[in-house]
Amino acid sequence: MSEDMEQSDLERGLRSALRAVDPGEGFAPRVLARIAVEPAQVERPARAGAMVSWLAFGLAASVVLAVLLAHEWQVRRLEQGREARRQLIEALRVTDEKLDLTYRVVNSREGAATAEHSGA
Amino acid sequence: MAVLFSGWRWLAGPLVALAASSALAAPAAMLNLPDFDALAAKATETVNISLDTSLLALAASFLDSSDPDDAATKELIAGLKGIYVRSYTFGQDFAYPAAQVDLVRKQLAPPAWQRLVEVNSTKDHTHVQIYVAADRGVANGLAIIASEPREFTIVNIVGSIDLAKLHRLEGKFGIPKLDLPDSKDGKDGPKDGGKHDR
Amino acid sequence: MSGDGECTGGDLLTRDLAGERAAFGALVRAHQRLFFSLALRMLADRHAAEDLSQEVFLQLYRNLSTVSSESHLVFWLRKVTMHRAIDRLRRAPPLERAAPEEATAAASETEPGDPLLERRLRSLVAELPPAGRAVVLLRFQEDLDPVEIARTLKMPLNTVKSHLRRSLAQLRERMTETADVLT
Repeated sequence: MSEDMEQSDLERGLRSALRAVDPGEGFAPRVLARIAVEPAQVERPARAGAMVSWLAFGLAASVVLAVLLAHEWQVRRLEQGREARRQLIEALRVTDEKLDLTYRVVNSREGAATAEHSGA
Repeated sequence: MAVLFSGWRWLAGPLVALAASSALAAPAAMLNLPDFDALAAKATETVNISLDTSLLALAASFLDSSDPDDAATKELIAGLKGIYVRSYTFGQDFAYPAAQVDLVRKQLAPPAWQRLVEVNSTKDHTHVQIYVAADRGVANGLAIIASEPREFTIVNIVGSIDLAKLHRLEGKFGIPKLDLPDSKDGKDGPKDGGKHDR
Repeated sequence: MSGDGECTGGDLLTRDLAGERAAFGALVRAHQRLFFSLALRMLADRHAAEDLSQEVFLQLYRNLSTVSSESHLVFWLRKVTMHRAIDRLRRAPPLERAAPEEATAAASETEPGDPLLERRLRSLVAELPPAGRAVVLLRFQEDLDPVEIARTLKMPLNTVKSHLRRSLAQLRERMTETADVLT
């Protein structure tokens, strides 16, 4: 490309480079799906007063929802934590059980064991 | 307990080394466990546990530091990055295919893994292998593969764990104390009742 | 504009005033390419572009009764798309802006031209400041003249011309730098 690129070359290049691209076949269905879940917002409030009331209600509802979600999250976290603790204990139990099994076999008369130090 | 503890000395050497090592985040210490859904479908009892770093931290946060046993457990898992357990109990002998076990065993090869112990009881048809993962001479993982007639278990521990400390927790938190068999007649001790259906 | 070509925009508008979502879907398909592209070139992020385009069409659906004709529809879509895109760019901190590679990777249609040059140009356009970028897009993607650009962006005509001049100079300079690096 030469240093002194002509204006027309640049503009031609831009027109070519900036050709429209299609978002894909699923785009329109996704728009319609979004319309389907947000129909309540289609109607605009008739008066400013109604809009303020709607906003205030919406804000209060949001706060309540946030509190409920936080509580639900806490409950879920508690359940998850207890379950994790239970699983930890169980995992340690199984580990210890198998190590004991190894010991039993080693100490039984018929057990044959190979102990190779890892050198660690 | 003293008998139990003294009995650990045969493993204590290399395993203390494991405990003393620093926990390195070596991917090789974490096994790629196959999907055992087919086994689970046939099993009468299943234990399927996967606790990664975040879940271990979550579990640790639910251990009470003011309780001595909880505190001991917390200390025990402090160096861990993951604990993974797959254990299946069946209603009949050798209902699980050896090929499934081999899939895991194949991963436990040098240089990443070294076999620490292998025991085989022809009488009880029990075969246990314990492997340790080492990176530049530092142990950072443990794997146990235990095949019994009606039970198949894999344990993979990523990170460092003091197995002597684990053993000291025996009897706490429902980890039942296991009576050692009489070494003269080779009888097994009472089976623990900790298994459960998932 | 791309689309199924079976209905004119005017027909679709008439049918949509009666609230038919299927007709609105056809309207979206008729115009999606153009306005998605504007959003894409402005935001340089395919996901953000789709999100913004969806919002624009959603807003159109809510305000369909205020649109009087096909040309008004196009003008409205173009105006809202560009204003929303500029708003988003001005609100987002610099680190959150996607790399220009998003925009370059998206345009993969194989049409005659120099793909490397075009890719470079798209990348450079994505680096222009929001207002300059908007002017360049309306000029070279939409083929609008400066007067129409001024109307769409609610910008004084001289400001549009100034943005156009500066942006083209910047693009030319950056392209020359590229040439120097390559030779």
